[in-house]
Amino acid sequence: MRISRGLSRRDFLKMSGAGLAGASLLGLAGCGEESSQGSSSGGMWEQYKGMTLNFISENTAPTSAIAANLKPFKDLTGIDVEISQLELGSLVQKVSLDVSSGDPTIHVIYADPYQVMAPFAAALADLNDFNEDDSLPSVPKGLGDFIPTQLAAAGRFDDPDTLYALPYDAPTMIWMYRQDLFDKYGDQMSQDLGFDPTPSEKITWAQYYDIAKWFNDNADEVEYGTGQQAKQYDSLMCDFSNVLWAYGGDYFDNGVQVGKIGAKDPGPARLDEAKAVEAAEFYKKLNEISHPGSTSWDWTALDEAFRAGELAMVPNWHEFAAGVEDSKLGGKVGYERLPTGPARSASMWGGTGLGINGELEDDEQRAAWLFLVWATSPETQLSGLKSNVGGGTPTRQSVYELPEVKKAQHRPSDMPNILTYPAVSKAWEPENIGLRPKVEEWNECDTVIYTELSKMLAGDKSPEQAMKDAKEGFDQANGV
Amino acid sequence: MLLPALLLLAALSLFPFFYIIWMSFNEVSLIGGINFEWVGLQNWTDLVTDPDVRSSWIVSGIYFIATVGLEMFLGISIALLLHETIWGKNLALSILLMPMFVAPVIVGLLGRFLVDSTYGLYAWFLDRTGLITWEILGSKGSALLAVILMDVWEWTPLIVLIVLAGLSSMPLPVLEAAKMDGANYVQRLRHIVAPLISGVVIVALLVRSMDAIRYYDIIAITTNGGPADATKIIPIRLYETAFRFQELGYAAAIGLSMLAFSILVANLFVRILKQQGLAR
Repeated sequence: MRISRGLSRRDFLKMSGAGLAGASLLGLAGCGEESSQGSSSGGMWEQYKGMTLNFISENTAPTSAIAANLKPFKDLTGIDVEISQLELGSLVQKVSLDVSSGDPTIHVIYADPYQVMAPFAAALADLNDFNEDDSLPSVPKGLGDFIPTQLAAAGRFDDPDTLYALPYDAPTMIWMYRQDLFDKYGDQMSQDLGFDPTPSEKITWAQYYDIAKWFNDNADEVEYGTGQQAKQYDSLMCDFSNVLWAYGGDYFDNGVQVGKIGAKDPGPARLDEAKAVEAAEFYKKLNEISHPGSTSWDWTALDEAFRAGELAMVPNWHEFAAGVEDSKLGGKVGYERLPTGPARSASMWGGTGLGINGELEDDEQRAAWLFLVWATSPETQLSGLKSNVGGGTPTRQSVYELPEVKKAQHRPSDMPNILTYPAVSKAWEPENIGLRPKVEEWNECDTVIYTELSKMLAGDKSPEQAMKDAKEGFDQANGV
Repeated sequence: MLLPALLLLAALSLFPFFYIIWMSFNEVSLIGGINFEWVGLQNWTDLVTDPDVRSSWIVSGIYFIATVGLEMFLGISIALLLHETIWGKNLALSILLMPMFVAPVIVGLLGRFLVDSTYGLYAWFLDRTGLITWEILGSKGSALLAVILMDVWEWTPLIVLIVLAGLSSMPLPVLEAAKMDGANYVQRLRHIVAPLISGVVIVALLVRSMDAIRYYDIIAITTNGGPADATKIIPIRLYETAFRFQELGYAAAIGLSMLAFSILVANLFVRILKQQGLAR
């Protein structure tokens, strides 16, 4: 794989010359040794001065942070950037129409690996061409600075060499819990439940259920022990997948590879296997004691309910920590990896990369590359972390090594998302990360699984029947 | 003389219409420009055998009858009430018409906020009074009822407006003569008002029916078709097929079936108008 190689001759030449000019202009001081190099050539960055780029993104915190701080890019390149932030479904629709229009207008695409990259990989440019082009700046610190699992999951599809996107954000599901309530009731819970309920990677999903039920019955501070993002939507698939993997189930054979690199022909689904059915049975059982709002909540609504103080704990996206710390729960919440199951602890990763519309003219693609390099640079990611419009979730290892970022892992923190780092850093390890299948027909498969789960939760189908029907739906979608 | 108008009509209506028919017999790929692969009747065969589409038509039928029925009943009732009102009629009418001017997507957002269990005013009230203690959008029956009522809230004013226009154009001497002959309100309503306004009522019914069958916004923003497909009406299924699954050929077939349904409904109402001598 390209990321595994060391510093190439081309990289060295670039870093010692014009490429470093850009890196220096990016303000990488403090991020590495490159900053000591001089800046001799702004030309590499300014060659498309006066151009306007259109960037389409899901309405996420990193893009909000970038939208609020575009001046450095304009100063660096003279390029204007128009940003459209949409709900993901609308984004997919707009991208599909744009790449088929014959007159594309979107330059930079928020390439969700599953809903955009897999179905539209053929319409995305291979970023290796730009990264290896002497007349363009390369990725500062190299591709190896991206967290490896994320580079593969966000950047590649089917072919382990082609690079379609640079990792841009990394929301990951973790266990958020009311530390104040666990402190208050911990001893009592230990006595009643017969185990130490302190959230840790040793707690199982079955114990999570017991803890949630205990809160339902014993704590007045919250309405329910837990809530789920179980609306008939993408969020339901995400929420269930954590349990599915923990119980040893998976969507396809060789699920790790299908999640990491993806596959055009994933083969038959295995959702009807005993482990998947067992996971579904547990998930149904968990929802029966969860807040009744769960079946109408997506990830945003669940987070709002948690922040409103209705729930003692939730499986939640780690990038919501900034909002949690800014709410009335600030300082009262703890963060841990999700509970474990008979097989492992798995945390759904929902990251995305930035890609370039391959249908564009060459110059437009090259200008878009400048934005990709800037937007995913360590300095921009650090800036996003400090942003007062929500904060980001860096995808680069070097950012997490910065002293100020390390310091922010402890309260008081001016980068609240970093409070979750001890939990997510373990979740991103290859054996823990939860990667949904990256297949061309994922949008259809996704709809199948969350619809069947919704029917199961509504009592229309048994877990066994729902998983059997989901398997049939997957196989039909994938032409098996 | 007519040629420019015909060309414009062809460009605006006929070309897209025939294009969609062509799409429905093809598998359509978007990447790298639009491409067609002839599949014959496959999409149409799928349309009549797909249990998911059938289920969406059933939900659509319930949604259609409930929204149009409630809107007609409430719209006519409110219009009759307003017609008899002497003081504050214009003010009442202005307030009543307001929902109609709100974008459907905003109605959906508003509805979602009002029935959300975390911060919704209606949810709080219904919970405290014990009327509905469960999650409104999280349960099949109440979710469907909620989206129906959101639609009714928005579009009943349109029926009021149309029917009120019909009531205002009734010949007063006929009504006054009936009153002098001793006809009570119900008798006047049944034997004079109803026949006089039946034409506009059918027009209102036609307008709302055509709209209801292709309704999308409120459900997309509130329930996304869930829970358990309880609110997945056919336009939601069409959107999903076209823009999530990228099956544009199949989506074209679904869209054409919606068009056929609309034409059937429209023809039914036009026939009624003809029978009454109100249309040629």
